[in-house]
Amino acid sequence: MKILVCIKQVPDAEAPIRIGADGRSFAVTGGAWRMNRFDEFAVEEALQIREAFPGTVVEALSVGPARAAAVLRRALSLGADEAIHILREGEEEPLPGEVAALIAAYVRDRGYDLILAGVMAEDDMQAQTGPMLAERLGLPCATAVVAETIPPNGMTIRVERELEGGLREALEMPLPALLSLQSGINRPRYPALSHVLRARTQPMMTVRAGDLPAPPRRERVVLLFLPAPAAKTLFLTGTPAEKAERLAELFREKALL
Amino acid sequence: MNAEIVVIAEVAAEGQPAPVSLELIAFAKSLRRNAAEPIRVFLPGRGIGAAAAELARLPGVAVTGIEGESLASYSAEAWKEALAPLLAARKTRFICVSHNANGADFAPGLAVRLGAACITAVEAFRIEAEGPIFSLSILKGKLQMEIVPEAETAVVTLLPGAFRRGDAPSSPMDKARKDGTNTTQNETVLLPEEFRRKEIPPTGVTTLKEKKSEVQGDRAGPPAAEMISVPDIPLKTRPLGLLPAPDEAADLAAAEVIVSAGRGIGGEENIELLRRLAFLFSRAAIGASRAVCDAGWLPCRYQIGQTGKTVSPRLYIACGISGALQHLAGMRGSQYIVAVNRDPQAAIFRVADVAVVEELVSFLPLLIAACRKHREGAAEAGR
Repeated sequence: MKILVCIKQVPDAEAPIRIGADGRSFAVTGGAWRMNRFDEFAVEEALQIREAFPGTVVEALSVGPARAAAVLRRALSLGADEAIHILREGEEEPLPGEVAALIAAYVRDRGYDLILAGVMAEDDMQAQTGPMLAERLGLPCATAVVAETIPPNGMTIRVERELEGGLREALEMPLPALLSLQSGINRPRYPALSHVLRARTQPMMTVRAGDLPAPPRRERVVLLFLPAPAAKTLFLTGTPAEKAERLAELFREKALL
Repeated sequence: MNAEIVVIAEVAAEGQPAPVSLELIAFAKSLRRNAAEPIRVFLPGRGIGAAAAELARLPGVAVTGIEGESLASYSAEAWKEALAPLLAARKTRFICVSHNANGADFAPGLAVRLGAACITAVEAFRIEAEGPIFSLSILKGKLQMEIVPEAETAVVTLLPGAFRRGDAPSSPMDKARKDGTNTTQNETVLLPEEFRRKEIPPTGVTTLKEKKSEVQGDRAGPPAAEMISVPDIPLKTRPLGLLPAPDEAADLAAAEVIVSAGRGIGGEENIELLRRLAFLFSRAAIGASRAVCDAGWLPCRYQIGQTGKTVSPRLYIACGISGALQHLAGMRGSQYIVAVNRDPQAAIFRVADVAVVEELVSFLPLLIAACRKHREGAAEAGR
């Protein structure tokens, strides 16, 4: 089986974020970028499928500027066999429609049996790239997948999608198919030393975005802004002990303690 | 130019129109340039006649029920196959879909098939001369992004609850039921509770006023839904049915105080600190964000949020929770919210009454000690 995992480099959730001078991009203080957490589940799921189906090849793909190579190295160090970098210059983040079109242009006719993606990126939170890619490739697709099983013949995949209120919906689809994975579907592993060493030197394939057919741009980011702080929020000040004391007083005043 | 706005509605388990669909209709109405612009509601499914008729009683909307054997259970494939040809023929301005499990599943693919723009998880919008500018949260709510479609048609998914029914006199559904007709009444565009006032920048904002006395069109007789059927096309996806929710156990619903853990607690071993804090309150329980349950630090029945439980205790203490909207959806109704997080930009601070920017592991023991002291002080005084 041949599996493609789509991964994205996103800012570390706790890193301080600034809005760029153009008002439409953001900058991460200290360059704290990491693999999108949802995509870590996708990498892990692919590796588990490879364990169940010997001979399976797992390839990781990312669209992004030069720095995005770091998440592909990470995928290799986790155990992916190959890495493909669709190099797209520019700090302004591409929108999902553009990313899906670029990936589709590369992936088409390469014979992947299964394409996995995270349910969304932690940064833009649009949850579009996976289902858009499936549509472009004409593949059946399920999003927010919390469980999957492939019967031994490897012809179909049975998935459970997460619905509201804890409900799940079960579906069966023929392969090839695309799944976007919800967090919690597995426990992502830590890199093994042998993989880490290999990942350092293993070449990756780089494809320039400009060499692929120009993707459509059907949306335009107007502006990013910091949400105004809520006027009602009381930020406690002082030493940690003073804050703790003040908070306990507040609990007392509100008759909560 | 067709100025129509389309709403893709859905049926709740009981055969009634889903509440999110009513919210979507209110949203669609606010997107109109004027009250004469038509709103077309598409309702795909099987056996949806009653729900379609119910929706058709709403003022200002025309309803098309799409019946089909392939629509008996939801699948993105069936929905796209049924909807795309109908929509492609219409040249619609906006196609409004709920950003719930199903809407988020089929909307992006539908947009690609139609060559439409796609803007998902919309929370608010403002109307400018060139049209609406949509805003949504990015980076777990640290920033807001404003975005506009640049295509003739745009598929827009609305985050459930973002455009909630306000304290309007009554919902249009109730009104229609009560009046039994909708030919004479004035229509009230429902506004969200607060319209996310605090999250919209102070300049250049067009506040939406209630649009009253809208043109209704004099329809003769009660409105009826148009019903069409789609042919039974072979699908690759085979729905296998719904699976029940996992066990319910934690006493979250009954708790008056919830101490809730986020990824920022750092590790499973620190849950004990939260338990010790919760122990100081009466009727207290432990809750968790999705990330904590995913990591296996607490079982999933502790999860609070859109896909977990919705709670509204007297006191909610959010420990190391970033405040993603999916979590806020489950705890926003809490009476008093205290957030402890080391990241001063964390979105949770915007819904909190009291914010503490500190490392949890060092702060919680101090807080536990201070709370103990105050409890004992109260006990002394009471003697």
